[in-house]
Amino acid sequence: MSEPSPPSWDPDLEPRLTFGQKLDRTARHLLPSAFIVLVIIFFSAPLAIPGSAELLSAIVIGSVFFWSVWRPTGMPALAPFVLGLFMDLVGFTPLGVSSFILLLVYGISSYARFGLMRMNFLVVWFLYGLIGGAASFLQWALACLFRLHGLDPAPALFEALLCIGVYPLLSATFSWFLHILDEKESA
Amino acid sequence: MIPVSIQVRQALGKLVLPVLLLLSVGIIIAGQADRKLADTARMYVADALAPLWGLIAHSQTDISHLVQGVKDARHLAEENAKLQTENAKLRRWYDVAVSLARENDSLKTELHWVPEPTPAFVTGRVVADSGGMYARAVLLVAGTTSGVHVGNVALATNGLAGRVTEVGPHAARVLLITDIASRLPIELESSHATAIMAGDNSPMPRLMYYPQDSRPIEGERVVTSDQAGAFPMGLPIGTVHYLHPGQPVVQPFVQLDKLTMLRVFDFGQSEIEPPEAPGHVPLTRPHRPLALPFKTLLGQGQEG
Repeated sequence: MSEPSPPSWDPDLEPRLTFGQKLDRTARHLLPSAFIVLVIIFFSAPLAIPGSAELLSAIVIGSVFFWSVWRPTGMPALAPFVLGLFMDLVGFTPLGVSSFILLLVYGISSYARFGLMRMNFLVVWFLYGLIGGAASFLQWALACLFRLHGLDPAPALFEALLCIGVYPLLSATFSWFLHILDEKESA
Repeated sequence: MIPVSIQVRQALGKLVLPVLLLLSVGIIIAGQADRKLADTARMYVADALAPLWGLIAHSQTDISHLVQGVKDARHLAEENAKLQTENAKLRRWYDVAVSLARENDSLKTELHWVPEPTPAFVTGRVVADSGGMYARAVLLVAGTTSGVHVGNVALATNGLAGRVTEVGPHAARVLLITDIASRLPIELESSHATAIMAGDNSPMPRLMYYPQDSRPIEGERVVTSDQAGAFPMGLPIGTVHYLHPGQPVVQPFVQLDKLTMLRVFDFGQSEIEPPEAPGHVPLTRPHRPLALPFKTLLGQGQEG
Protein backbone atom coordinates (compact mmCIF):
# COMPACT_ATOMS: atom_id res chain seq x y z
CA MET A 1 0.00 0.00 0.00
CA SER A 2 1.22 3.41 -0.74
CA GLU A 3 1.15 6.06 1.88
CA PRO A 4 -0.02 9.43 0.77
CA SER A 5 3.29 11.13 0.31
CA PRO A 6 3.65 14.24 2.43
CA PRO A 7 3.76 17.42 0.43
CA SER A 8 7.41 17.86 -0.30
CA TRP A 9 8.66 20.71 1.80
CA ASP A 10 11.42 22.72 0.38
CA PRO A 11 12.79 25.85 1.99
CA ASP A 12 13.28 27.28 -1.47
CA LEU A 13 9.52 27.29 -2.04
CA GLU A 14 8.95 29.85 0.68
CA PRO A 15 8.09 33.30 -0.59
CA ARG A 16 11.48 34.75 -1.29
CA LEU A 17 12.52 37.56 1.02
CA THR A 18 13.37 40.89 -0.43
CA PHE A 19 16.78 42.35 0.25
CA GLY A 20 15.33 44.73 2.80
CA GLN A 21 13.60 41.91 4.67
CA LYS A 22 16.79 39.85 4.69
CA LEU A 23 18.70 42.80 6.07
CA ASP A 24 16.02 43.36 8.68
CA ARG A 25 16.11 39.73 9.79
CA THR A 26 19.91 39.66 10.02
CA ALA A 27 19.90 42.88 12.04
CA ARG A 28 17.34 41.36 14.40
CA HIS A 29 19.46 38.25 14.92
CA LEU A 30 22.64 40.22 15.47
CA LEU A 31 21.07 42.85 17.73
CA PRO A 32 21.80 41.22 21.14
CA SER A 33 25.40 40.37 20.20
CA ALA A 34 26.00 43.87 18.84
CA PHE A 35 24.58 45.35 22.02
CA ILE A 36 26.91 43.22 24.16
CA VAL A 37 29.95 44.06 21.99
CA LEU A 38 29.22 47.77 22.41
CA VAL A 39 28.81 47.31 26.17
CA ILE A 40 32.16 45.51 26.37
CA ILE A 41 33.96 48.23 24.39
CA PHE A 42 32.29 51.00 26.37
CA PHE A 43 33.01 49.54 29.79
CA SER A 44 36.63 48.67 29.04
CA ALA A 45 37.34 52.33 28.28
CA PRO A 46 38.69 54.24 31.27
CA LEU A 47 35.45 55.42 32.80
CA ALA A 48 34.98 57.23 36.05
CA ILE A 49 32.32 54.68 37.02
CA PRO A 50 33.32 52.77 40.14
CA GLY A 51 33.25 48.99 39.73
CA SER A 52 32.90 49.08 35.95
CA ALA A 53 34.71 45.72 35.60
CA GLU A 54 32.13 43.98 37.79
CA LEU A 55 29.27 45.83 36.13
CA LEU A 56 30.48 44.71 32.70
CA SER A 57 30.43 41.02 33.68
CA ALA A 58 27.03 41.46 35.32
CA ILE A 59 25.48 43.09 32.24
CA VAL A 60 26.95 40.52 29.85
CA ILE A 61 25.78 37.56 31.94
CA GLY A 62 22.31 39.11 32.31
CA SER A 63 21.97 39.81 28.59
CA VAL A 64 23.07 36.30 27.59
CA PHE A 65 20.57 34.85 30.07
CA PHE A 66 17.68 37.03 28.90
CA TRP A 67 18.15 36.46 25.20
CA SER A 68 18.77 32.73 25.47
CA VAL A 69 15.53 32.36 27.45
CA TRP A 70 13.24 34.69 25.52
CA ARG A 71 14.66 34.85 22.02
CA PRO A 72 17.19 32.07 21.30
CA THR A 73 17.27 33.03 17.61
CA GLY A 74 19.03 36.21 18.68
CA MET A 75 21.53 34.27 20.78
CA PRO A 76 22.91 31.18 18.99
CA ALA A 77 25.45 29.06 20.90
CA LEU A 78 28.27 30.64 18.96
CA ALA A 79 27.44 34.11 20.29
CA PRO A 80 28.34 33.58 24.00
CA PHE A 81 31.52 31.83 22.88
CA VAL A 82 32.67 34.64 20.60
CA LEU A 83 31.54 37.36 23.03
CA GLY A 84 33.37 35.70 25.92
CA LEU A 85 36.52 35.38 23.85
CA PHE A 86 36.26 39.05 22.89
CA MET A 87 35.79 39.98 26.56
CA ASP A 88 38.90 38.00 27.50
CA LEU A 89 40.93 39.55 24.69
CA VAL A 90 39.91 43.05 25.71
CA GLY A 91 40.27 42.45 29.42
CA PHE A 92 42.87 40.72 31.48
CA THR A 93 41.20 37.40 32.31
CA PRO A 94 42.93 34.24 31.02
CA LEU A 95 41.76 33.51 27.46
CA GLY A 96 38.65 31.35 27.29
CA VAL A 97 37.46 31.75 30.88
CA SER A 98 34.60 34.14 30.06
CA SER A 99 33.64 32.00 27.05
CA PHE A 100 33.40 28.99 29.30
CA ILE A 101 31.27 30.79 31.90
CA LEU A 102 28.95 32.42 29.34
CA LEU A 103 28.48 29.09 27.55
CA LEU A 104 27.51 27.48 30.86
CA VAL A 105 25.01 30.27 31.55
CA TYR A 106 23.68 29.88 28.00
CA GLY A 107 23.45 26.10 28.31
CA ILE A 108 21.58 26.20 31.62
CA SER A 109 19.15 28.90 30.55
CA SER A 110 18.36 27.43 27.15
CA TYR A 111 17.89 24.01 28.79
CA ALA A 112 15.42 25.44 31.29
CA ARG A 113 13.84 28.00 29.02
CA PHE A 114 10.42 26.37 28.60
CA GLY A 115 10.11 26.06 32.37
CA LEU A 116 11.36 29.58 32.96
CA MET A 117 9.06 31.22 30.41
CA ARG A 118 5.99 30.05 32.27
CA MET A 119 7.09 31.42 35.63
CA ASN A 120 6.43 34.67 37.41
CA PHE A 121 9.05 37.41 36.92
CA LEU A 122 10.10 37.28 40.59
CA VAL A 123 10.78 33.53 40.39
CA VAL A 124 12.80 33.99 37.19
CA TRP A 125 14.71 36.78 38.89
CA PHE A 126 15.46 34.56 41.87
CA LEU A 127 16.62 31.68 39.64
CA TYR A 128 18.70 34.11 37.61
CA GLY A 129 20.24 35.32 40.88
CA LEU A 130 21.36 31.75 41.58
CA ILE A 131 22.87 31.41 38.09
CA GLY A 132 24.57 34.83 38.26
CA GLY A 133 25.95 34.08 41.72
CA ALA A 134 27.28 30.73 40.55
CA ALA A 135 28.88 32.39 37.50
CA SER A 136 30.59 35.03 39.68
CA PHE A 137 31.79 32.38 42.08
CA LEU A 138 33.13 30.28 39.19
CA GLN A 139 34.96 33.32 37.82
CA TRP A 140 36.54 33.89 41.21
CA ALA A 141 37.46 30.21 41.59
CA LEU A 142 39.08 30.10 38.14
CA ALA A 143 41.00 33.32 38.84
CA CYS A 144 42.29 31.73 42.08
CA LEU A 145 43.20 28.54 40.21
CA PHE A 146 45.23 30.35 37.55
CA ARG A 147 47.06 32.53 40.06
CA LEU A 148 47.61 29.54 42.41
CA HIS A 149 46.73 32.01 45.11
CA GLY A 150 43.61 32.59 47.21
CA LEU A 151 42.18 35.90 46.02
CA ASP A 152 39.85 38.25 47.81
CA PRO A 153 36.26 36.98 47.28
CA ALA A 154 34.76 40.44 47.85
CA PRO A 155 34.74 41.46 44.12
CA ALA A 156 32.98 38.18 43.26
CA LEU A 157 30.32 38.88 45.88
CA PHE A 158 29.96 42.42 44.58
CA GLU A 159 29.62 41.10 41.04
CA ALA A 160 26.96 38.58 42.11
CA LEU A 161 24.98 41.37 43.80
CA LEU A 162 25.35 43.59 40.73
CA CYS A 163 24.18 40.66 38.57
CA ILE A 164 21.03 40.36 40.65
CA GLY A 165 20.50 44.10 40.88
CA VAL A 166 20.98 44.93 37.22
CA TYR A 167 18.69 42.17 35.91
CA PRO A 168 15.29 43.91 36.32
CA LEU A 169 16.64 46.92 34.45
CA LEU A 170 18.05 44.78 31.63
CA SER A 171 14.90 42.70 31.51
CA ALA A 172 12.67 45.76 31.29
CA THR A 173 14.79 47.31 28.53
CA PHE A 174 14.99 44.14 26.48
CA SER A 175 11.28 43.37 26.94
CA TRP A 176 10.42 46.82 25.70
CA PHE A 177 12.70 46.23 22.74
CA LEU A 178 11.12 42.85 21.97
CA HIS A 179 7.71 44.48 22.18
CA ILE A 180 8.66 47.10 19.59
CA LEU A 181 10.21 44.46 17.31
CA ASP A 182 7.11 42.26 17.53
CA GLU A 183 4.84 45.18 16.78
CA LYS A 184 6.87 45.92 13.67
CA GLU A 185 6.71 42.27 12.70
CA SER A 186 2.93 42.10 12.90
CA ALA A 187 2.43 45.44 11.23
CA MET B 1 23.10 25.21 2.83
CA ILE B 2 24.03 21.53 2.65
CA PRO B 3 20.87 19.43 2.32
CA VAL B 4 20.70 17.25 5.48
CA SER B 5 17.72 15.60 7.06
CA ILE B 6 15.96 17.27 9.98
CA GLN B 7 17.13 14.54 12.39
CA VAL B 8 20.78 15.08 11.49
CA ARG B 9 20.35 18.80 11.77
CA GLN B 10 18.80 18.47 15.25
CA ALA B 11 21.57 16.12 16.36
CA LEU B 12 24.17 18.58 15.10
CA GLY B 13 22.35 21.40 16.87
CA LYS B 14 22.58 19.50 20.16
CA LEU B 15 26.28 18.92 19.61
CA VAL B 16 27.16 22.58 19.16
CA LEU B 17 27.10 23.55 22.84
CA PRO B 18 29.32 20.68 24.14
CA VAL B 19 31.76 21.20 21.28
CA LEU B 20 31.99 24.93 22.04
CA LEU B 21 32.43 24.22 25.77
CA LEU B 22 35.27 21.82 25.00
CA LEU B 23 36.75 24.38 22.63
CA SER B 24 36.73 27.06 25.33
CA VAL B 25 38.42 24.70 27.78
CA GLY B 26 40.97 24.00 25.04
CA ILE B 27 41.53 27.72 24.59
CA ILE B 28 42.03 28.15 28.36
CA ILE B 29 44.65 25.41 28.37
CA ALA B 30 46.32 26.68 25.18
CA GLY B 31 46.35 30.21 26.58
CA GLN B 32 48.04 28.98 29.76
CA ALA B 33 50.56 26.88 27.83
CA ASP B 34 51.54 29.50 25.29
CA ARG B 35 51.14 32.80 27.02
CA LYS B 36 53.03 34.70 24.34
CA LEU B 37 50.42 33.81 21.70
CA ALA B 38 47.59 34.98 23.97
CA ASP B 39 49.40 38.24 24.68
CA THR B 40 50.00 38.85 20.97
CA ALA B 41 46.32 38.26 20.23
CA ARG B 42 45.40 40.66 23.03
CA MET B 43 47.71 43.33 21.69
CA TYR B 44 46.21 43.00 18.19
CA VAL B 45 42.69 43.48 19.56
CA ALA B 46 43.81 46.36 21.77
CA ASP B 47 45.60 47.96 18.82
CA ALA B 48 42.47 47.76 16.72
CA LEU B 49 40.24 49.14 19.47
CA ALA B 50 42.58 51.89 20.66
CA PRO B 51 41.05 54.66 18.47
CA LEU B 52 37.56 53.79 19.70
CA TRP B 53 38.62 53.90 23.31
CA GLY B 54 40.40 57.16 22.56
CA LEU B 55 37.11 58.59 21.31
CA ILE B 56 35.25 57.47 24.45
CA ALA B 57 37.98 58.75 26.77
CA HIS B 58 38.12 62.05 24.89
CA SER B 59 34.40 62.71 25.08
CA GLN B 60 34.44 61.69 28.71
CA THR B 61 37.17 64.20 29.58
CA ASP B 62 35.27 66.86 27.65
CA ILE B 63 32.12 66.21 29.65
CA SER B 64 33.93 66.14 32.97
CA HIS B 65 35.71 69.41 32.06
CA LEU B 66 32.36 70.98 31.32
CA VAL B 67 30.88 69.81 34.63
CA GLN B 68 33.98 70.92 36.51
CA GLY B 69 33.86 74.31 34.79
CA VAL B 70 30.31 74.89 35.92
CA LYS B 71 31.18 73.82 39.45
CA ASP B 72 34.29 76.00 39.60
CA ALA B 73 32.49 79.09 38.38
CA ARG B 74 30.82 79.46 41.78
CA HIS B 75 34.07 79.82 43.69
CA LEU B 76 35.93 82.11 41.31
CA ALA B 77 36.34 85.17 43.52
CA GLU B 78 37.36 83.11 46.54
CA GLU B 79 39.88 81.19 44.52
CA ASN B 80 41.27 84.31 42.91
CA ALA B 81 42.10 85.85 46.29
CA LYS B 82 43.67 82.62 47.43
CA LEU B 83 45.76 82.36 44.28
CA GLN B 84 47.00 85.91 44.57
CA THR B 85 48.35 85.36 48.07
CA GLU B 86 49.84 82.08 46.97
CA ASN B 87 51.41 83.74 43.94
CA ALA B 88 53.10 86.35 46.14
CA LYS B 89 54.43 83.57 48.35
CA LEU B 90 55.66 81.58 45.36
CA ARG B 91 57.41 84.60 43.88
CA ARG B 92 59.56 84.78 47.00
CA TRP B 93 60.29 81.07 46.70
CA TYR B 94 61.14 81.54 43.03
CA ASP B 95 63.87 84.03 43.97
CA VAL B 96 65.20 81.61 46.55
CA ALA B 97 65.15 78.77 44.02
CA VAL B 98 67.00 80.79 41.38
CA SER B 99 69.73 81.78 43.79
CA LEU B 100 70.01 78.18 45.02
CA ALA B 101 70.21 76.86 41.47
CA ARG B 102 73.01 79.33 40.69
CA GLU B 103 74.84 78.31 43.82
CA ASN B 104 74.34 74.64 42.96
CA ASP B 105 75.70 75.23 39.45
CA SER B 106 78.76 77.04 40.71
CA LEU B 107 79.42 74.31 43.29
CA LYS B 108 79.09 71.63 40.63
CA THR B 109 81.62 73.41 38.41
CA GLU B 110 83.99 73.61 41.37
CA LEU B 111 83.66 69.87 41.93
CA HIS B 112 83.96 68.79 38.22
CA TRP B 113 80.56 67.07 38.51
CA VAL B 114 79.76 64.45 35.82
CA PRO B 115 76.28 65.38 34.49
CA GLU B 116 73.62 62.67 34.40
CA PRO B 117 72.13 61.77 31.02
CA THR B 118 68.65 63.18 30.40
CA PRO B 119 66.21 60.33 29.88
CA ALA B 120 64.19 60.23 26.67
CA PHE B 121 60.43 60.14 27.14
CA VAL B 122 57.17 60.04 25.22
CA THR B 123 53.72 60.99 26.51
CA GLY B 124 50.61 59.02 25.68
CA ARG B 125 46.93 59.17 26.48
CA VAL B 126 45.54 56.37 28.63
CA VAL B 127 42.69 54.94 26.58
CA ALA B 128 41.66 51.74 28.29
CA ASP B 129 41.60 50.33 31.73
CA SER B 130 42.38 46.81 30.59
CA GLY B 131 42.56 45.46 34.10
CA GLY B 132 39.54 43.52 35.21
CA MET B 133 38.58 42.60 38.73
CA TYR B 134 41.82 40.82 39.42
CA ALA B 135 44.36 42.93 37.57
CA ARG B 136 45.45 46.52 37.46
CA ALA B 137 46.78 47.63 34.09
CA VAL B 138 46.11 50.39 31.58
CA LEU B 139 46.55 50.74 27.83
CA LEU B 140 48.51 53.64 26.43
CA VAL B 141 48.41 55.05 22.87
CA ALA B 142 52.18 54.95 22.31
CA GLY B 143 53.91 51.92 20.91
CA THR B 144 57.13 50.75 19.33
CA THR B 145 56.70 53.35 16.57
CA SER B 146 57.12 56.06 19.21
CA GLY B 147 60.04 54.31 20.85
CA VAL B 148 58.37 52.57 23.77
CA HIS B 149 60.00 49.32 24.88
CA VAL B 150 59.14 46.62 27.37
CA GLY B 151 60.49 47.54 30.79
CA ASN B 152 60.22 51.30 30.35
CA VAL B 153 59.04 53.29 33.34
CA ALA B 154 55.66 55.05 33.22
CA LEU B 155 55.31 58.20 35.32
CA ALA B 156 52.19 60.25 35.91
CA THR B 157 52.38 63.94 36.86
CA ASN B 158 53.56 63.41 40.40
CA GLY B 159 54.98 59.93 40.73
CA LEU B 160 55.54 56.41 39.51
CA ALA B 161 52.55 54.68 37.90
CA GLY B 162 53.97 51.41 36.58
CA ARG B 163 56.06 49.65 33.99
CA VAL B 164 55.50 48.76 30.33
CA THR B 165 54.90 45.03 30.02
CA GLU B 166 53.67 44.55 26.45
CA VAL B 167 54.14 46.70 23.38
CA GLY B 168 52.33 46.74 20.06
CA PRO B 169 53.05 49.11 17.17
CA HIS B 170 50.62 51.76 18.42
CA ALA B 171 49.73 50.75 21.96
CA ALA B 172 51.50 49.66 25.11
CA ARG B 173 50.20 48.00 28.23
CA VAL B 174 51.38 49.40 31.54
CA LEU B 175 51.23 47.18 34.61
CA LEU B 176 50.38 49.46 37.51
CA ILE B 177 52.21 49.30 40.84
CA THR B 178 49.01 48.14 42.54
CA ASP B 179 48.71 44.93 40.49
CA ILE B 180 49.21 41.67 42.31
CA ALA B 181 52.05 40.78 39.93
CA SER B 182 53.96 43.98 40.68
CA ARG B 183 56.94 43.80 43.03
CA LEU B 184 59.35 46.72 43.08
CA PRO B 185 62.53 47.42 45.00
CA ILE B 186 62.03 50.68 46.90
CA GLU B 187 63.87 52.85 49.36
CA LEU B 188 62.48 54.61 52.42
CA GLU B 189 63.71 58.14 52.02
CA SER B 190 64.58 59.19 55.57
CA SER B 191 66.18 55.96 56.78
CA HIS B 192 67.64 54.92 53.38
CA ALA B 193 66.45 51.38 54.14
CA THR B 194 65.49 49.22 51.19
CA ALA B 195 62.30 47.17 51.00
CA ILE B 196 59.98 45.55 48.50
CA MET B 197 56.65 47.06 47.57
CA ALA B 198 54.18 44.34 46.58
CA GLY B 199 50.84 45.12 44.93
CA ASP B 200 47.72 43.22 45.98
CA ASN B 201 45.13 44.75 43.61
CA SER B 202 44.03 47.10 46.39
CA PRO B 203 44.70 50.85 46.00
CA MET B 204 47.58 50.68 48.48
CA PRO B 205 50.46 48.25 47.85
CA ARG B 206 52.06 46.58 50.86
CA LEU B 207 55.63 47.03 52.12
CA MET B 208 57.62 43.85 52.66
CA TYR B 209 61.11 42.82 53.72
CA TYR B 210 62.04 46.10 55.37
CA PRO B 211 64.86 45.88 57.93
CA GLN B 212 63.61 45.22 61.43
CA ASP B 213 65.89 47.85 62.96
CA SER B 214 64.57 50.69 60.80
CA ARG B 215 60.86 50.28 60.40
CA PRO B 216 58.93 52.54 58.02
CA ILE B 217 57.60 55.64 59.74
CA GLU B 218 54.08 56.90 59.10
CA GLY B 219 54.20 59.63 56.44
CA GLU B 220 57.72 58.80 55.28
CA ARG B 221 58.35 59.26 51.55
CA VAL B 222 58.92 56.12 49.48
CA VAL B 223 61.10 56.33 46.34
CA THR B 224 62.39 53.77 43.86
CA SER B 225 65.67 52.02 44.51
CA ASP B 226 68.17 51.15 41.80
CA GLN B 227 68.72 47.67 43.16
CA ALA B 228 68.45 45.03 40.41
CA GLY B 229 68.83 47.77 37.84
CA ALA B 230 65.16 47.99 36.90
CA PHE B 231 64.60 51.58 38.00
CA PRO B 232 66.74 54.64 38.45
CA MET B 233 67.19 55.88 41.98
CA GLY B 234 64.75 58.22 43.65
CA LEU B 235 61.57 58.32 41.56
CA PRO B 236 58.79 59.35 43.96
CA ILE B 237 56.18 56.66 44.64
CA GLY B 238 54.18 57.63 47.71
CA THR B 239 54.11 57.88 51.46
CA VAL B 240 54.07 55.21 54.15
CA HIS B 241 50.78 54.65 55.88
CA TYR B 242 49.85 52.13 58.57
CA LEU B 243 46.48 50.49 57.99
CA HIS B 244 46.99 48.34 61.11
CA PRO B 245 49.90 48.24 63.53
CA GLY B 246 52.76 46.29 61.94
CA GLN B 247 51.23 46.41 58.46
CA PRO B 248 52.76 49.28 56.51
CA VAL B 249 51.37 50.12 53.07
CA VAL B 250 52.28 52.78 50.53
CA GLN B 251 49.81 55.47 49.64
CA PRO B 252 50.77 56.32 46.03
CA PHE B 253 51.10 59.96 45.02
CA VAL B 254 49.41 59.12 41.73
CA GLN B 255 45.66 58.62 41.60
CA LEU B 256 45.90 55.29 39.80
CA ASP B 257 42.18 54.95 39.21
CA LYS B 258 41.99 58.28 37.38
CA LEU B 259 44.92 58.15 34.97
CA THR B 260 44.56 60.24 31.81
CA MET B 261 48.13 60.76 30.60
CA LEU B 262 51.34 58.86 31.24
CA ARG B 263 54.93 59.74 30.40
CA VAL B 264 56.99 56.71 29.43
CA PHE B 265 60.68 57.17 30.22
CA ASP B 266 63.56 55.20 28.79
CA PHE B 267 66.20 55.60 31.45
CA GLY B 268 68.53 53.25 29.59
CA GLN B 269 69.25 51.37 32.82
CA SER B 270 70.29 48.27 30.90
CA GLU B 271 73.06 50.20 29.16
CA ILE B 272 74.88 50.90 32.42
CA GLU B 273 77.34 48.08 32.71
CA PRO B 274 79.81 47.82 35.54
CA PRO B 275 83.45 47.48 34.51
CA GLU B 276 84.89 43.97 34.35
CA ALA B 277 86.07 42.70 37.70
CA PRO B 278 87.74 39.32 38.33
CA GLY B 279 85.64 37.12 40.58
CA HIS B 280 82.60 39.33 40.15
CA VAL B 281 79.31 37.45 40.45
CA PRO B 282 76.57 39.00 38.27
CA LEU B 283 73.65 40.29 40.32
CA THR B 284 70.83 39.34 37.98
CA ARG B 285 70.33 35.72 37.17
CA PRO B 286 69.77 34.70 33.54
CA HIS B 287 66.11 34.91 32.62
CA ARG B 288 64.15 31.68 32.76
CA PRO B 289 60.46 31.17 32.01
CA LEU B 290 58.41 30.96 35.18
CA ALA B 291 55.71 28.40 35.60
CA LEU B 292 53.32 30.68 37.47
CA PRO B 293 50.95 32.79 35.39
CA PHE B 294 51.42 36.56 35.16
CA LYS B 295 54.86 36.49 36.75
CA THR B 296 56.37 36.81 33.29
CA LEU B 297 54.57 40.11 32.80
CA LEU B 298 57.14 41.80 34.97
CA GLY B 299 60.05 40.88 32.75
CA GLN B 300 63.47 40.21 34.10
CA GLY B 301 65.51 41.99 36.67
CA GLN B 302 62.85 41.97 39.38
CA GLU B 303 64.14 39.16 41.48
CA GLY B 304 67.79 40.06 41.93
